Amino acid sequence: MELKDTLTIAAPVEAVFAALTDPETVRACIPGCESLVPVTATELQARVALKLGPVKARFSGLVELDVSAAPQRIRLSGRGDGGIAGFAQGGADVELLADGQTTILTYVAKAEIGGKIAQMGARLIDGTARKLASEFFTDFKTIVEDASR
Amino acid sequence: MQSFSYHKPGTVTDAASLLAARDNAALLAGGMTLLPTMKQRLAAPDDIIDLAAIRELSGITMEGEDLVIGAMTRHADVAGSDLVKEVLPALAGLASRIGDQQVRHRGTIGGSISNNDPAADYPAAILALNATIVTSQRAIAADDFFVGLFETALRPGEIVTAIRFPRAKRAAYAKFPNPASRYAIAGVFVAQTGGAVRVAVTGAAPFVFRATDVEAALSANYAVEALERLSIDTQDLMSDIHADREYRGHLVMVMARRAVAESLKRSG
Repeated sequence: MELKDTLTIAAPVEAVFAALTDPETVRACIPGCESLVPVTATELQARVALKLGPVKARFSGLVELDVSAAPQRIRLSGRGDGGIAGFAQGGADVELLADGQTTILTYVAKAEIGGKIAQMGARLIDGTARKLASEFFTDFKTIVEDASR
Repeated sequence: MQSFSYHKPGTVTDAASLLAARDNAALLAGGMTLLPTMKQRLAAPDDIIDLAAIRELSGITMEGEDLVIGAMTRHADVAGSDLVKEVLPALAGLASRIGDQQVRHRGTIGGSISNNDPAADYPAAILALNATIVTSQRAIAADDFFVGLFETALRPGEIVTAIRFPRAKRAAYAKFPNPASRYAIAGVFVAQTGGAVRVAVTGAAPFVFRATDVEAALSANYAVEALERLSIDTQDLMSDIHADREYRGHLVMVMARRAVAESLKRSG
Protein backbone atom coordinates (compact mmCIF):
# COMPACT_ATOMS: atom_id res chain seq x y z
CA MET A 1 0.00 0.00 0.00
CA GLU A 2 1.49 3.27 -1.13
CA LEU A 3 0.36 6.85 -0.64
CA LYS A 4 1.51 9.91 -2.53
CA ASP A 5 0.65 13.54 -2.12
CA THR A 6 2.04 16.99 -2.70
CA LEU A 7 1.39 20.10 -0.66
CA THR A 8 2.60 23.67 -0.72
CA ILE A 9 3.79 25.18 2.55
CA ALA A 10 4.15 28.94 2.89
CA ALA A 11 7.59 28.77 4.58
CA PRO A 12 11.19 28.46 3.30
CA VAL A 13 12.78 25.02 2.86
CA GLU A 14 15.11 25.50 5.85
CA ALA A 15 12.16 26.15 8.18
CA VAL A 16 10.25 23.13 6.84
CA PHE A 17 13.32 20.92 7.22
CA ALA A 18 13.94 22.13 10.77
CA ALA A 19 10.34 21.44 11.73
CA LEU A 20 10.36 17.98 10.17
CA THR A 21 13.36 16.98 12.25
CA ASP A 22 12.14 18.60 15.47
CA PRO A 23 10.70 15.91 17.77
CA GLU A 24 8.25 18.30 19.44
CA THR A 25 6.74 19.45 16.11
CA VAL A 26 6.57 15.90 14.77
CA ARG A 27 4.95 14.67 17.99
CA ALA A 28 2.27 17.35 17.73
CA CYS A 29 1.49 16.23 14.16
CA ILE A 30 1.33 12.44 14.57
CA PRO A 31 -2.33 11.62 15.29
CA GLY A 32 -2.61 10.14 18.79
CA CYS A 33 1.11 10.50 19.59
CA GLU A 34 1.60 10.51 23.35
CA SER A 35 5.37 10.81 23.41
CA LEU A 36 8.30 11.00 21.01
CA VAL A 37 11.67 10.92 22.71
CA PRO A 38 15.09 11.02 20.96
CA VAL A 39 17.16 7.92 21.79
CA THR A 40 20.12 8.59 19.49
CA ALA A 41 20.83 11.32 16.92
CA THR A 42 18.70 9.53 14.33
CA GLU A 43 16.34 7.37 16.38
CA LEU A 44 13.25 8.30 18.34
CA GLN A 45 11.13 6.25 20.70
CA ALA A 46 7.40 6.75 20.02
CA ARG A 47 4.16 5.92 21.80
CA VAL A 48 0.99 6.29 19.76
CA ALA A 49 -2.61 5.63 20.77
CA LEU A 50 -4.62 4.76 17.68
CA LYS A 51 -8.38 5.16 17.86
CA LEU A 52 -10.33 4.01 14.86
CA GLY A 53 -14.04 3.42 15.26
CA PRO A 54 -14.40 0.83 17.98
CA VAL A 55 -10.71 -0.11 17.96
CA LYS A 56 -8.35 1.41 20.48
CA ALA A 57 -4.76 0.19 20.38
CA ARG A 58 -1.54 1.58 21.74
CA PHE A 59 1.66 1.16 19.74
CA SER A 60 5.21 1.72 20.88
CA GLY A 61 8.21 1.61 18.63
CA LEU A 62 11.23 3.20 17.08
CA VAL A 63 11.23 5.88 14.40
CA GLU A 64 14.38 6.30 12.36
CA LEU A 65 15.31 9.47 10.53
CA ASP A 66 17.66 9.39 7.54
CA VAL A 67 18.85 12.91 6.74
CA SER A 68 21.89 12.00 4.59
CA ALA A 69 20.34 13.78 1.60
CA ALA A 70 19.09 16.74 3.65
CA PRO A 71 17.58 19.23 3.28
CA GLN A 72 16.12 18.14 -0.08
CA ARG A 73 15.18 14.65 0.98
CA ILE A 74 14.35 13.01 4.29
CA ARG A 75 13.51 9.37 4.86
CA LEU A 76 11.47 8.30 7.87
CA SER A 77 10.86 4.71 8.83
CA GLY A 78 9.42 2.99 11.83
CA ARG A 79 8.06 -0.19 13.28
CA GLY A 80 5.63 -0.31 16.15
CA ASP A 81 4.39 -3.09 18.38
CA GLY A 82 0.78 -2.95 19.51
CA GLY A 83 0.94 -5.96 21.80
CA ILE A 84 -2.11 -8.15 21.35
CA ALA A 85 -3.39 -5.90 18.56
CA GLY A 86 -0.49 -6.69 16.23
CA PHE A 87 2.23 -4.61 14.66
CA ALA A 88 2.55 -1.77 12.19
CA GLN A 89 5.47 -0.69 10.11
CA GLY A 90 5.93 1.97 7.53
CA GLY A 91 8.04 4.67 6.08
CA ALA A 92 7.91 7.87 4.11
CA ASP A 93 10.21 9.56 1.63
CA VAL A 94 9.74 13.29 1.88
CA GLU A 95 11.09 15.61 -0.79
CA LEU A 96 11.35 19.35 -0.28
CA LEU A 97 11.57 21.74 -3.22
CA ALA A 98 12.13 25.47 -2.78
CA ASP A 99 9.75 27.75 -4.69
CA GLY A 100 10.74 31.26 -3.65
CA GLN A 101 9.65 31.71 -0.06
CA THR A 102 7.41 28.66 -0.19
CA THR A 103 8.20 24.94 -0.16
CA ILE A 104 6.68 22.19 -2.22
CA LEU A 105 6.55 19.04 -0.11
CA THR A 106 6.02 15.68 -1.80
CA TYR A 107 5.72 12.47 0.15
CA VAL A 108 5.54 8.82 -0.76
CA ALA A 109 4.52 6.72 2.21
CA LYS A 110 4.21 2.98 2.67
CA ALA A 111 2.39 1.21 5.48
CA GLU A 112 1.89 -2.39 6.48
CA ILE A 113 0.08 -3.91 9.41
CA GLY A 114 0.10 -7.44 10.73
CA GLY A 115 -1.38 -9.57 13.47
CA LYS A 116 -4.89 -9.37 14.79
CA ILE A 117 -5.52 -5.79 13.75
CA ALA A 118 -4.72 -6.78 10.16
CA GLN A 119 -7.18 -9.68 10.17
CA MET A 120 -9.97 -7.46 11.45
CA GLY A 121 -9.03 -4.43 9.47
CA ALA A 122 -7.67 -5.69 6.14
CA ARG A 123 -10.32 -3.75 4.26
CA LEU A 124 -9.56 -0.62 6.27
CA ILE A 125 -5.79 -0.29 5.91
CA ASP A 126 -5.94 1.96 2.88
CA GLY A 127 -8.49 4.34 4.34
CA THR A 128 -6.78 4.47 7.72
CA ALA A 129 -3.32 5.13 6.30
CA ARG A 130 -4.65 7.95 4.12
CA LYS A 131 -6.50 9.47 7.02
CA LEU A 132 -3.42 9.39 9.29
CA ALA A 133 -1.08 10.72 6.59
CA SER A 134 -3.45 13.51 5.66
CA GLU A 135 -3.95 14.52 9.32
CA PHE A 136 -0.18 14.51 9.87
CA PHE A 137 0.63 16.76 6.92
CA THR A 138 -2.35 19.08 7.42
CA ASP A 139 -1.28 19.72 11.03
CA PHE A 140 2.35 19.99 9.96
CA LYS A 141 1.54 22.65 7.35
CA THR A 142 -0.47 24.66 9.90
CA ILE A 143 2.25 24.53 12.56
CA VAL A 144 5.09 25.43 10.19
CA GLU A 145 3.15 28.27 8.54
CA ASP A 146 2.10 29.71 11.91
CA ALA A 147 5.67 29.59 13.16
CA SER A 148 7.18 31.34 10.14
CA ARG A 149 4.60 34.13 10.01
CA MET B 1 -11.09 -11.36 30.39
CA GLN B 2 -11.07 -7.62 30.71
CA SER B 3 -13.61 -6.61 33.35
CA PHE B 4 -16.06 -3.75 32.87
CA SER B 5 -19.10 -2.26 34.59
CA TYR B 6 -22.44 -2.93 32.91
CA HIS B 7 -25.16 -0.25 33.00
CA LYS B 8 -28.71 -0.55 31.72
CA PRO B 9 -30.37 2.88 31.93
CA GLY B 10 -34.10 3.27 31.25
CA THR B 11 -34.07 6.72 29.64
CA VAL B 12 -31.94 8.63 27.13
CA THR B 13 -31.25 11.29 29.78
CA ASP B 14 -29.81 8.70 32.16
CA ALA B 15 -27.75 7.10 29.38
CA ALA B 16 -26.36 10.49 28.35
CA SER B 17 -25.36 11.44 31.88
CA LEU B 18 -23.69 8.04 32.42
CA LEU B 19 -21.78 8.51 29.18
CA ALA B 20 -20.74 12.05 30.05
CA ALA B 21 -19.49 11.05 33.50
CA ARG B 22 -17.13 8.31 32.31
CA ASP B 23 -13.88 8.53 30.33
CA ASN B 24 -13.70 5.12 28.75
CA ALA B 25 -17.33 4.13 28.24
CA ALA B 26 -18.98 2.57 25.20
CA LEU B 27 -22.62 2.59 24.16
CA LEU B 28 -24.04 -0.84 23.34
CA ALA B 29 -26.80 -0.83 20.73
CA GLY B 30 -26.91 -4.10 18.74
CA GLY B 31 -23.27 -4.87 19.54
CA MET B 32 -22.51 -6.01 15.99
CA THR B 33 -19.23 -4.09 15.90
CA LEU B 34 -18.44 -3.45 19.56
CA LEU B 35 -18.71 -7.05 20.78
CA PRO B 36 -16.47 -8.67 18.12
CA THR B 37 -13.94 -5.89 18.69
CA MET B 38 -13.97 -6.55 22.45
CA LYS B 39 -13.65 -10.30 21.89
CA GLN B 40 -10.56 -9.63 19.78
CA ARG B 41 -9.19 -7.47 22.63
CA LEU B 42 -9.02 -4.53 20.28
CA ALA B 43 -11.24 -2.47 22.57
CA ALA B 44 -11.51 -2.60 26.33
CA PRO B 45 -14.09 -0.13 27.63
CA ASP B 46 -14.35 0.25 31.41
CA ASP B 47 -18.10 0.87 31.21
CA ILE B 48 -20.72 -0.57 28.87
CA ILE B 49 -23.95 1.41 28.64
CA ASP B 50 -26.62 -0.88 27.18
CA LEU B 51 -29.40 1.03 25.40
CA ALA B 52 -31.71 -2.01 25.11
CA ALA B 53 -34.05 -1.02 27.95
CA ILE B 54 -34.83 2.44 26.58
CA ARG B 55 -38.28 2.00 25.02
CA GLU B 56 -38.43 5.46 23.44
CA LEU B 57 -35.51 4.53 21.15
CA SER B 58 -37.35 1.81 19.21
CA GLY B 59 -40.18 1.96 16.75
CA ILE B 60 -41.28 3.21 13.34
CA THR B 61 -43.89 5.98 12.99
CA MET B 62 -45.07 8.73 10.66
CA GLU B 63 -44.72 12.28 11.95
CA GLY B 64 -46.39 14.55 9.44
CA GLU B 65 -44.82 13.68 6.09
CA ASP B 66 -41.69 12.17 7.66
CA LEU B 67 -40.94 8.54 8.38
CA VAL B 68 -39.31 8.40 11.80
CA ILE B 69 -37.25 5.38 12.82
CA GLY B 70 -35.99 5.02 16.39
CA ALA B 71 -32.24 4.54 16.77
CA MET B 72 -32.54 1.09 18.41
CA THR B 73 -34.81 -0.29 15.67
CA ARG B 74 -33.29 -3.50 14.29
CA HIS B 75 -32.58 -3.99 10.58
CA ALA B 76 -35.06 -6.91 10.40
CA ASP B 77 -37.83 -4.68 11.80
CA VAL B 78 -37.16 -1.98 9.19
CA ALA B 79 -37.05 -4.66 6.44
CA GLY B 80 -40.32 -6.21 7.59
CA SER B 81 -42.26 -3.04 8.40
CA ASP B 82 -45.41 -2.52 6.31
CA LEU B 83 -45.12 1.21 6.91
CA VAL B 84 -41.53 1.39 5.57
CA LYS B 85 -42.46 -0.84 2.62
CA GLU B 86 -45.28 1.54 1.76
CA VAL B 87 -43.53 4.89 2.32
CA LEU B 88 -39.90 4.10 1.43
CA PRO B 89 -39.68 0.60 -0.08
CA ALA B 90 -36.06 1.26 -1.09
CA LEU B 91 -35.14 1.60 2.58
CA ALA B 92 -36.89 -1.66 3.51
CA GLY B 93 -35.04 -3.34 0.65
CA LEU B 94 -31.69 -1.99 1.86
CA ALA B 95 -32.32 -3.21 5.41
CA SER B 96 -33.26 -6.68 4.13
CA ARG B 97 -29.80 -7.05 2.56
CA ILE B 98 -27.60 -5.88 5.45
CA GLY B 99 -25.17 -8.57 6.68
CA ASP B 100 -26.79 -11.89 7.45
CA GLN B 101 -29.90 -13.06 9.30
CA GLN B 102 -28.19 -12.83 12.72
CA VAL B 103 -26.85 -9.32 12.11
CA ARG B 104 -30.26 -8.13 10.90
CA HIS B 105 -31.94 -9.32 14.09
CA ARG B 106 -29.40 -7.68 16.39
CA GLY B 107 -27.95 -4.69 14.54
CA THR B 108 -29.64 -1.29 14.80
CA ILE B 109 -29.91 1.73 12.52
CA GLY B 110 -28.58 4.10 15.19
CA GLY B 111 -25.61 1.83 15.92
CA SER B 112 -24.78 1.52 12.24
CA ILE B 113 -24.70 5.26 11.54
CA SER B 114 -22.93 6.18 14.80
CA ASN B 115 -20.16 3.72 13.94
CA ASN B 116 -20.01 5.05 10.34
CA ASP B 117 -18.20 2.05 8.91
CA PRO B 118 -17.01 2.97 5.39
CA ALA B 119 -18.87 -0.01 3.92
CA ALA B 120 -22.11 0.15 5.94
CA ASP B 121 -25.36 0.38 3.96
CA TYR B 122 -27.51 2.78 6.00
CA PRO B 123 -25.26 5.86 5.61
CA ALA B 124 -25.94 5.79 1.83
CA ALA B 125 -29.71 5.87 2.38
CA ILE B 126 -29.51 8.61 4.97
CA LEU B 127 -27.33 10.83 2.81
CA ALA B 128 -29.23 10.26 -0.45
CA LEU B 129 -32.67 10.69 1.15
CA ASN B 130 -31.46 13.85 2.95
CA ALA B 131 -32.62 12.47 6.29
CA THR B 132 -32.18 14.26 9.61
CA ILE B 133 -30.38 12.62 12.52
CA VAL B 134 -32.05 13.42 15.85
CA THR B 135 -29.81 13.15 18.91
CA SER B 136 -30.08 13.66 22.64
CA GLN B 137 -28.98 17.26 22.03
CA ARG B 138 -30.04 18.46 18.56
CA ALA B 139 -30.99 17.61 14.99
CA ILE B 140 -28.19 17.11 12.45
CA ALA B 141 -28.61 17.23 8.66
CA ALA B 142 -27.29 14.16 6.82
CA ASP B 143 -24.84 16.35 4.85
CA ASP B 144 -23.20 17.43 8.13
CA PHE B 145 -23.29 14.09 9.96
CA PHE B 146 -20.77 11.83 8.19
CA VAL B 147 -17.39 13.54 8.48
CA GLY B 148 -14.70 10.87 8.03
CA LEU B 149 -13.62 7.26 8.37
CA PHE B 150 -15.58 6.04 11.42
CA GLU B 151 -16.14 9.69 12.28
CA THR B 152 -19.41 11.54 12.70
CA ALA B 153 -20.48 14.98 13.89
CA LEU B 154 -21.55 13.42 17.21
CA ARG B 155 -19.98 15.10 20.23
CA PRO B 156 -18.71 13.13 23.21
CA GLY B 157 -21.74 12.15 25.28
CA GLU B 158 -24.21 12.67 22.43
CA ILE B 159 -26.60 9.80 21.58
CA VAL B 160 -28.55 9.28 18.34
CA THR B 161 -32.24 8.86 19.21
CA ALA B 162 -34.01 8.71 15.83
CA ILE B 163 -33.68 9.28 12.10
CA ARG B 164 -36.29 11.30 10.17
CA PHE B 165 -36.68 10.43 6.50
CA PRO B 166 -38.60 12.72 4.14
CA ARG B 167 -40.63 10.97 1.44
CA ALA B 168 -39.02 10.41 -1.94
CA LYS B 169 -40.62 10.46 -5.39
CA ARG B 170 -38.28 7.69 -6.53
CA ALA B 171 -35.53 5.84 -4.73
CA ALA B 172 -33.50 2.65 -4.96
CA TYR B 173 -30.33 1.09 -3.59
CA ALA B 174 -27.99 -1.24 -5.46
CA LYS B 175 -24.94 -2.82 -3.92
CA PHE B 176 -22.15 -5.15 -4.88
CA PRO B 177 -21.63 -7.05 -1.65
CA ASN B 178 -18.54 -8.79 -0.41
CA PRO B 179 -19.68 -12.43 -0.65
CA ALA B 180 -18.43 -13.26 2.85
CA SER B 181 -19.37 -10.26 4.97
CA ARG B 182 -22.13 -8.75 2.76
CA TYR B 183 -20.49 -5.40 3.40
CA ALA B 184 -20.75 -3.17 0.33
CA ILE B 185 -17.67 -3.19 -1.92
CA ALA B 186 -19.67 -0.50 -3.69
CA GLY B 187 -23.21 0.56 -2.85
CA VAL B 188 -25.20 3.38 -4.47
CA PHE B 189 -28.44 4.90 -3.21
CA VAL B 190 -30.29 7.11 -5.70
CA ALA B 191 -33.17 9.33 -4.57
CA GLN B 192 -35.35 11.81 -6.38
CA THR B 193 -37.22 14.20 -4.10
CA GLY B 194 -39.15 17.05 -5.64
CA GLY B 195 -36.88 18.36 -8.39
CA ALA B 196 -33.62 17.33 -6.75
CA VAL B 197 -31.67 14.12 -7.29
CA ARG B 198 -29.23 12.93 -4.62
CA VAL B 199 -26.82 10.04 -5.12
CA ALA B 200 -24.81 8.63 -2.21
CA VAL B 201 -22.01 6.08 -2.49
CA THR B 202 -20.85 3.75 0.28
CA GLY B 203 -18.11 1.12 0.43
CA ALA B 204 -15.96 2.79 -2.20
CA ALA B 205 -14.21 5.57 -0.26
CA PRO B 206 -13.10 6.08 3.37
CA PHE B 207 -16.65 7.23 4.11
CA VAL B 208 -20.00 7.76 2.38
CA PHE B 209 -20.05 10.60 -0.16
CA ARG B 210 -22.37 12.22 -2.73
CA ALA B 211 -21.51 11.59 -6.37
CA THR B 212 -22.17 15.11 -7.64
CA ASP B 213 -21.43 14.36 -11.32
CA VAL B 214 -23.96 11.55 -11.26
CA GLU B 215 -26.47 13.84 -9.51
CA ALA B 216 -26.01 16.52 -12.19
CA ALA B 217 -26.48 14.02 -15.03
CA LEU B 218 -29.64 12.60 -13.44
CA SER B 219 -31.04 16.06 -12.63
CA ALA B 220 -30.83 16.89 -16.35
CA ASN B 221 -32.27 13.55 -17.45
CA TYR B 222 -33.48 10.96 -14.96
CA ALA B 223 -32.72 7.87 -17.01
CA VAL B 224 -30.20 5.04 -17.13
CA GLU B 225 -28.94 6.37 -20.48
CA ALA B 226 -27.88 9.63 -18.80
CA LEU B 227 -25.13 7.68 -16.99
CA GLU B 228 -23.90 5.64 -19.92
CA ARG B 229 -20.76 7.57 -20.78
CA LEU B 230 -20.13 8.86 -17.27
CA SER B 231 -17.33 7.73 -14.99
CA ILE B 232 -16.33 8.92 -11.55
CA ASP B 233 -13.00 10.24 -10.34
CA THR B 234 -11.28 7.30 -8.67
CA GLN B 235 -8.42 9.21 -7.00
CA ASP B 236 -10.02 9.21 -3.55
CA LEU B 237 -11.45 5.69 -3.68
CA MET B 238 -10.14 2.81 -1.57
CA SER B 239 -7.92 -0.01 -2.76
CA ASP B 240 -7.77 -3.24 -0.80
CA ILE B 241 -7.52 -6.99 -1.31
CA HIS B 242 -11.15 -7.12 -2.48
CA ALA B 243 -11.06 -4.44 -5.15
CA ASP B 244 -8.64 -1.80 -6.38
CA ARG B 245 -9.72 1.77 -6.91
CA GLU B 246 -10.35 1.54 -10.68
CA TYR B 247 -12.56 -1.52 -10.22
CA ARG B 248 -14.45 0.18 -7.38
CA GLY B 249 -14.99 3.22 -9.60
CA HIS B 250 -16.37 0.96 -12.31
CA LEU B 251 -18.65 -0.81 -9.82
CA VAL B 252 -20.00 2.52 -8.56
CA MET B 253 -21.25 3.40 -12.05
CA VAL B 254 -22.73 -0.07 -12.60
CA MET B 255 -24.54 0.15 -9.24
CA ALA B 256 -25.73 3.70 -10.03
CA ARG B 257 -27.28 2.51 -13.32
CA ARG B 258 -28.92 -0.47 -11.61
CA ALA B 259 -30.33 1.76 -8.87
CA VAL B 260 -31.79 4.21 -11.40
CA ALA B 261 -33.35 1.35 -13.40
CA GLU B 262 -34.83 -0.12 -10.21
CA SER B 263 -36.18 3.23 -9.02
CA LEU B 264 -37.99 3.76 -12.33
CA LYS B 265 -39.95 0.55 -11.78
CA ARG B 266 -41.67 1.94 -8.70
CA SER B 267 -42.00 5.10 -6.64
CA GLY B 268 -40.47 5.76 -3.18
